[in-house]
Amino acid sequence: MSRHKISLTVNGQRYDVEVEANRTLLQLIREDLEMTGTKCACERGDCGLCTVLLDGVPTKSCLVLAVEVDGHEVTTVEGLVQGDEINAVQRAFIEHGAVQCGFCTPAFVIAATALLKRNPHPTEDDIKEAMGGILCRCTGYRQIINAILDASKSDKK
Amino acid sequence: MPLPKFDYTRPKTMRKLVSALAEHKADTKIIAGGTDLVVLLRDKIVRPNYVIDVKGVRELHKLSWNKLGLTIGAAVTLNELLDSDVVKQKFGVLWKAASTLADPTIRNRATLVGNVCNASPAADTAPALLVMDAKVEVVGKKGKRTVAIKDFFKGVKKTALKPGEFVRAVKVPNPPEGARGDYLKWGRTAGEDLSVVGVAALVADSGEKLMRVALSSVAPTPLLVPDVESAFKDGGSLDEKIERAVSIVQSKICPISDVRCCKEYRLYMAGVLTSRVLKRLLGVADVQA
Repeated sequence: MSRHKISLTVNGQRYDVEVEANRTLLQLIREDLEMTGTKCACERGDCGLCTVLLDGVPTKSCLVLAVEVDGHEVTTVEGLVQGDEINAVQRAFIEHGAVQCGFCTPAFVIAATALLKRNPHPTEDDIKEAMGGILCRCTGYRQIINAILDASKSDKK
Repeated sequence: MPLPKFDYTRPKTMRKLVSALAEHKADTKIIAGGTDLVVLLRDKIVRPNYVIDVKGVRELHKLSWNKLGLTIGAAVTLNELLDSDVVKQKFGVLWKAASTLADPTIRNRATLVGNVCNASPAADTAPALLVMDAKVEVVGKKGKRTVAIKDFFKGVKKTALKPGEFVRAVKVPNPPEGARGDYLKWGRTAGEDLSVVGVAALVADSGEKLMRVALSSVAPTPLLVPDVESAFKDGGSLDEKIERAVSIVQSKICPISDVRCCKEYRLYMAGVLTSRVLKRLLGVADVQA
């Protein structure tokens, strides 16, 4: 199997790593870089819990080969914190109790952060559409939608 | 779980891509978005020793439009297609179909050409491409050939591609003057599921001039239903003509029962959706629309 030297930026920090062709981006993030905020669940693109931002765009990292992201920029949930400050979406999730078991939370938080960057004032339908690729196994969607709506009203996003 | 082992290459030019593919032929799979391929690799449904990435070739990222129509390169994602005003305004049926495929996160990565090459009977963009009479541009070591989309699908997950060939682009001709199109997808949930039935239609005038209907998830391949236009040649009210079109559609499809629903329900819903989409496009009131 082929091995590849790749460079990528994760949460602002550059990494030079060597990966085997069959390594997924999700495995690279969790197992090699040891950032376990991004979750591994269905590993077939159905549940969206492995969502990260690839060049700012929500992407299911279980369906991307690590070698494909050579030269690209990845943001995981660990990268949303600025200093000691969590972002407006994270704050709103806490305030609205939008966390039950918590397993889907990193994916929702990161996808919602990207949504608000692209569309600062989404309607409830915009939110439902944008979050359509992420499943909450506790089915706590109401609180999640409310939290994102609330975060969109905040000045600091 | 690790994926099975393979070698990966990302050629930077068309010439290198063609020769890399010619070298190992049947032992190779192309990756563009990877949203189907990685799942097939994981399930060991495909076991290539070589995976060739088309995203390194700049020209395959091109989405362009001119007086001949739309050209969608192999690396163009569905969200790039959806972000195009030209596609939205002039190729409405394709835009609508692309917007129903999987979910927005998948569409950031998944490509239209990949949806075509995966050749699922449930491929959402296929019925739209069928009614638009799209052409598939195939490239191999021996050169280029063009395959009509209706001849491209050969069976469940089977295409007209020969070993060593790949799809460079899908070309969609501009629709005839005054044509209107739509795609209706019936699924168990609003997002993130394959269709129970999908129906695309393209019509002009009251259906006499142009009447094409194509479906997904009702046969081994996405299907352009032949002879639907004959329903609009004879007399009767528009409602009666639509009813005749529904009968033609239901007589030409052969749905199966699967995890999503039984074949009887698919046959019934194919009729309901055909009626609904034609009524919508022909301006006939439909209480359920």
